[in-house]
Amino acid sequence: MSFLELSNITKRFGTFEALRGISLSIERGSFVSLLGPSGCGKTTLLRIIAGLETPNGGNVVIDGSDVTRLPPEARKLAMMFQSYALLPHMTVLDNVRFPLRMQGSSSTADQRRRAHEALALVKLDHLADSRPRQLSGGQQQRVALARAIVYQPRVLLLDEPLSNLDARLREDMQIELQDLHRRLGLTTIFVTHDQEEALSLSDRVVLMRDGSVERDAPADVIYDDPGTPFAADFLGAANVVEVSGDPSAVRLADGQVLNISAPDDTSLLVMRQEDLRLGGDGLSFQGVVEARVFMGTRVRYVVRVGDAKIRLLVARDAIVAPGEQVTVTIEPDRVRWAHPRRDR
Amino acid sequence: MVRRFPASALIGGGFILLLILVFMLLPLAIVAAASVTAGSFLTFPPQGFSLRWYGEVLASTAYLDAARTSLILATAVTASSVVIGTAAAIALHRRLLPGTSVLSALFLSPLVLPTIIFGIGLLIVASIYFGGPSLVALWVGHTVITVPYIVRTVAAVLSDADPQIEEAARTMGARPLQRLWFVVLPQARAGIIAGGFFAFNVSFDEAVVALFLRSPGVETLPMRIYGQLEFSPTPAVAAVSTLMILLTILLIVAIERFLGLRRVAG
Amino acid sequence: MPHPLRRAERGAGAFGESVLLIGPGAALLIGAFLFPVGQILVLSIVPPEEGLSIWANFARFFEDDYYLRVAWRTFRLSVIITLVTAMIGFPLAYVVARSPRIVGYTLLLLTVLPLMTSVVVRTFGWIIALGRGGPVADLLSLTGLGARDATLLHTETGIVIAMVQVLLPFMTLTTLGVISTIHPHLEEASRTMGAGFYRTLRHVVLPLSVPGLVSGSLLVFALSISSFVTPNLVGGVRLPVMAGAIYQQATSTLDWNFAAAQSTLLLAAVLGLLIPYLALTRRRHG
Repeated sequence: MSFLELSNITKRFGTFEALRGISLSIERGSFVSLLGPSGCGKTTLLRIIAGLETPNGGNVVIDGSDVTRLPPEARKLAMMFQSYALLPHMTVLDNVRFPLRMQGSSSTADQRRRAHEALALVKLDHLADSRPRQLSGGQQQRVALARAIVYQPRVLLLDEPLSNLDARLREDMQIELQDLHRRLGLTTIFVTHDQEEALSLSDRVVLMRDGSVERDAPADVIYDDPGTPFAADFLGAANVVEVSGDPSAVRLADGQVLNISAPDDTSLLVMRQEDLRLGGDGLSFQGVVEARVFMGTRVRYVVRVGDAKIRLLVARDAIVAPGEQVTVTIEPDRVRWAHPRRDR
Repeated sequence: MVRRFPASALIGGGFILLLILVFMLLPLAIVAAASVTAGSFLTFPPQGFSLRWYGEVLASTAYLDAARTSLILATAVTASSVVIGTAAAIALHRRLLPGTSVLSALFLSPLVLPTIIFGIGLLIVASIYFGGPSLVALWVGHTVITVPYIVRTVAAVLSDADPQIEEAARTMGARPLQRLWFVVLPQARAGIIAGGFFAFNVSFDEAVVALFLRSPGVETLPMRIYGQLEFSPTPAVAAVSTLMILLTILLIVAIERFLGLRRVAG
Repeated sequence: MPHPLRRAERGAGAFGESVLLIGPGAALLIGAFLFPVGQILVLSIVPPEEGLSIWANFARFFEDDYYLRVAWRTFRLSVIITLVTAMIGFPLAYVVARSPRIVGYTLLLLTVLPLMTSVVVRTFGWIIALGRGGPVADLLSLTGLGARDATLLHTETGIVIAMVQVLLPFMTLTTLGVISTIHPHLEEASRTMGAGFYRTLRHVVLPLSVPGLVSGSLLVFALSISSFVTPNLVGGVRLPVMAGAIYQQATSTLDWNFAAAQSTLLLAAVLGLLIPYLALTRRRHG
């Protein structure tokens, strides 16, 4: 049995089914992202693990004991909120000391020492006597992080903690989070709607959709092989193309035949934008350039093939004007297949 | 949002809450109950059920006169304070005048200054300069008390309105009075109506200023009830009071419908 | 954001329009509100007889045991009333703020309903409830707290009970205004960090509600020391409070100068409380 075990969790809000039977096993020390669009149930699942919501069905087991009925304060987890949830009437140090004080395990002096240590870990010890509102957003964020790790929680839960930061700070914090995770080895569950963040931070990505798990795989695997059209679409970067004909002779929408075979006759062709090229060798098909968008180091083309639009991300050297006929190619071993889920 | 409250908090909290609500509604419920007694004296619980005291009230010229005075007064007060308060709220909302924050404080101050102090001041001024209190003095006094309610409700609605609509109207050539009539007043409509009901209710129920400005031939319902309570009230007083409670409930429903109580109360 | 007209039309026709709009209200408030209140201050220093000091009316108040007792009773009852409303108002406001929408809304409605009914009517209800044979008196004799056939009319306890009901909505609404700005995440964070429900209430919600409780208390105290309808009718002539005494002198004995002096004292006390109240509420809104 894994360290954190969720079995068949369901949750309804009125008539809305937020979670439809989620089961997950999470290993000790791993860094898992719950990824999905808003309303997919990822935050609800996190709150159920924390004990802030009660599931309608299913169990939450941590380290071998069932905590489903335990109130949040008895679970010894830490949660970091999108709003940071720093207590405005306390100093930074007292905020970080708060969990130690509430759990009342050690002397005040010891609590203060540990709080200082946690603040030092996020490089904010010099602001220990400030009030939260005197701090910048990034600093508040780090205080919240220090407060979450100070009492060695069994699981660290992060609810979109980076979404209120600007792009630069967000990058810094991502590095800091990864670094802390490596050093402390805390089991971490991270909720986000940003696929890049999920892919870059975590070992494992659980993609959710409408209260169910759509795809659950290591970050590199889910990126290379999204598996479902929704996953391919949500992770961006990939074209999902409907094909027809029998599996051995795959036809695009306009009738062009591709020289590969599909696993079965319901498969969808998945091609990542950066795997496609204009011209060259490999599997190829014809299309008309519909648009060209300059993206800095690269250029994005939208190529029309019958009714389908294929997006490519290519180097700047190839310049083709809209309206021109082009040949699009891909290495046969970069082709992936997706399967529409039958349950929707 | 369902959160994990301990059972003690849910049960204890629910019980305390129930007690508080009983406590808050008790006087109103008792008055209503006492009004339907069939007996001749004020008792709780009532003896039997009858509407005889309502009949008594409707046959009493003193009560009918007081009710008429209250209605006329509250209607006049509503009209004057809606006009004055709406105009002031629009001006305050625009923040064009120097010292707008001082002016705002002035317009809201009758809400917080105890009415007894205002009442005695008004009595003194009416007696020294206007030959004694009168219905007109009461009208002026109630208008002062109710203007802040209109200013508050209208300001609340205007601050939610899109100021660019007025700018857009300017670009389309609307002159100041046209903008006031076609843009600002429609934007403020909900606040004006809710504030008007508020003003009516406050004036209809107000007793303190009314008691200070007591004058021969001028008696509102709250004044009459107060007078009865100083001696020995009959179930007829309970019947009149119940009718006043019902009117208040009607007005709350109306305010709620136009504006939402949370906005006014908060 | 400043109103766009401020940028576009300062000094132009809209300024005159604003003056026209605010004119009637300003005239009304200056003539019929500030002037009468100012008149009280003037009358309070007019001595009752020629040749006496301008402080004569105040001296009469402070030298008479009777008025000092009345003032002390007013003060003492108001302190008790304020404390009781704060103790009841805080949990009530918390429950209203944190209940599911429909429950909270119903509670708010039930709190506002008594606030909007005439104070005369509510006091009438208390006269029946507190009087001999009324439910409150019955409850006291049933629980053995009071004698059989007891009455709470004409007692200080009765005044406190009735006044708490009259003033509780002010405390609840003021505190609610502050509690509803406390982000629920703060309580949830506290719970996940190991503080139970009650300790979260004690260490997170209560300290953050202090501004609301303080401004609510200032408001309730100010309203309490200056109310006369409820204390007069429930307490009767044996237990006069300051506002009741002022009412008597202004309308029965027509001793305006003395009434004005007492009103001035009351006004000073009320302003001393309301100015911090306004500063507190303004800071919260601004």
